Amino acid sequence: MPDVILGYFTDGWQATILACVVLACLSSGVLSPIVVSSRMAFFSDAVAHSTLAGVALGMLLGFGSPTTTMIGFAVVVALLIATLRQYTTLSLDSLLGVAMAGSLAVGVLLYHRTKGYSDLHGYLFGAVSLLGTQDLVILAANAVLALVMVGLFANRFLLLAVSRPLAQARGVPVARYEYLLIVVLGLVVAVGVRAVGLLMVNALLIVPAATSRNVTRTVAGMFWGSVLVALASGLIGLFGAGWLGLTEGPSIVVVAVVLFIVSQALRPLFGHQVAEA
Amino acid sequence: MATDPLLELKGVTVEAGGKALVRDVNLSLGRGEMVALIGPNGAGKTTLLRAILGLMRYRGEIRVNGRVGYVPQRVQYDRTLPMTVLEFLALTLQRAPVVFGISQATKRKALGLLENVGAAKLARSSLGGLSGGELQRVMLASALHGTPELLLLDEPAAGVDIEGEATFLEIIHDQVHHKGATVVLVSHDLSVVSDITDRVVCLNVDLKCEGNAKDLLTAERIAEVFGGHKAVYGHHHHH
Repeated sequence: MPDVILGYFTDGWQATILACVVLACLSSGVLSPIVVSSRMAFFSDAVAHSTLAGVALGMLLGFGSPTTTMIGFAVVVALLIATLRQYTTLSLDSLLGVAMAGSLAVGVLLYHRTKGYSDLHGYLFGAVSLLGTQDLVILAANAVLALVMVGLFANRFLLLAVSRPLAQARGVPVARYEYLLIVVLGLVVAVGVRAVGLLMVNALLIVPAATSRNVTRTVAGMFWGSVLVALASGLIGLFGAGWLGLTEGPSIVVVAVVLFIVSQALRPLFGHQVAEA
Repeated sequence: MATDPLLELKGVTVEAGGKALVRDVNLSLGRGEMVALIGPNGAGKTTLLRAILGLMRYRGEIRVNGRVGYVPQRVQYDRTLPMTVLEFLALTLQRAPVVFGISQATKRKALGLLENVGAAKLARSSLGGLSGGELQRVMLASALHGTPELLLLDEPAAGVDIEGEATFLEIIHDQVHHKGATVVLVSHDLSVVSDITDRVVCLNVDLKCEGNAKDLLTAERIAEVFGGHKAVYGHHHHH
């Protein structure tokens, strides 16, 4: 075990992987409280699924790395959802269901035109061993973006999360903030997909805050707890996977989910109020 | 009005889907007035407030010569969100993210606002655990930030028990009105507002009546505004 951990600090390639995972977890952990409080969990899932089409499109267009088309496609889908949300009376979950089904179907169709591209598995389930310096740069930019978002707008987003009409009444330009959140989430999700995989990225945006809010009564506690859970999941999952010879992405999520279950058991100790009937 | 009115509405019409929600409302409120805006459900009361706040498109002219505070109608919120009352108030009191901590200055300001409404002891309480009456006080405390000259209260009694409601109205009367602010109190329940307001404005899409509370609140007038809706005569509460 210690050798496995040590490797991440001594070997350049492994150190890059470690840094990538830490940065991906940091971005998710920082944004998770906003995602969970704003009930955007299903949204990030829909955007995550849309990246498949982006990846396939990149492959078809012959890009060396489909990262650009993946991020671009995710942001376009995110914006589309945000715009439709403003202009239709459809409920958000129906809208997300349509977007997810549509983009996934397009993704699969495009993917079948690119037979034999083995990297797709990595995009779906996480390919930590494929992470390189380019990813490190993108993930670092991503983490900075997430921190800046929280630093500048967390108060507004939280007020919006408490009550949309109240935020509106307090002068928050609600629609503008919703667009902003959606675009940033689209970016973070698309980039996160590269590190932990399409099916796992959503978990890292939801589980950390879902866990921390079980064991705190303050918003500050929820925030720092979320960052802590995300980072702990990343590190324990990564080292544990190396030690046991498992896939890193799913291992990270399993650790996060285990922490969530523990927090759920501890919930009554923190005197949580149940929702009013 | 002889002096510059605090709030002036001229021919204000709000439409949605080709239907008038509020039609051609003319109204002028002076400083220090305590006004009840009454009308049945769907009469356009909330719509009119939202137009005054600039949250709805309208035709006509609305002029507000002062700061506006607003307590929305029975705020529905996520009660499972971990957040203290202090943190909630700090969200609008400080620029720095509340998740990074609350400054001493913000803490003092928030406690001052809560003291105004007799709710200082709620500072550390969880927002999700508040009763209807407590929540209304916290919302009022939040709306009092910046000492508004015009305070708009949309159905402040909704979801509050009778005792809590009386206390709440007392607070509004003593803490807001006595300090010179104009208060507009929206209600569909006449008995609640008639005692403490000096002017009543009745709205049912159009402005139906306007004037002194005692003169206006006759059975005929009420029947006219509410279309014979009997429930308004008595004080009724939903549980």
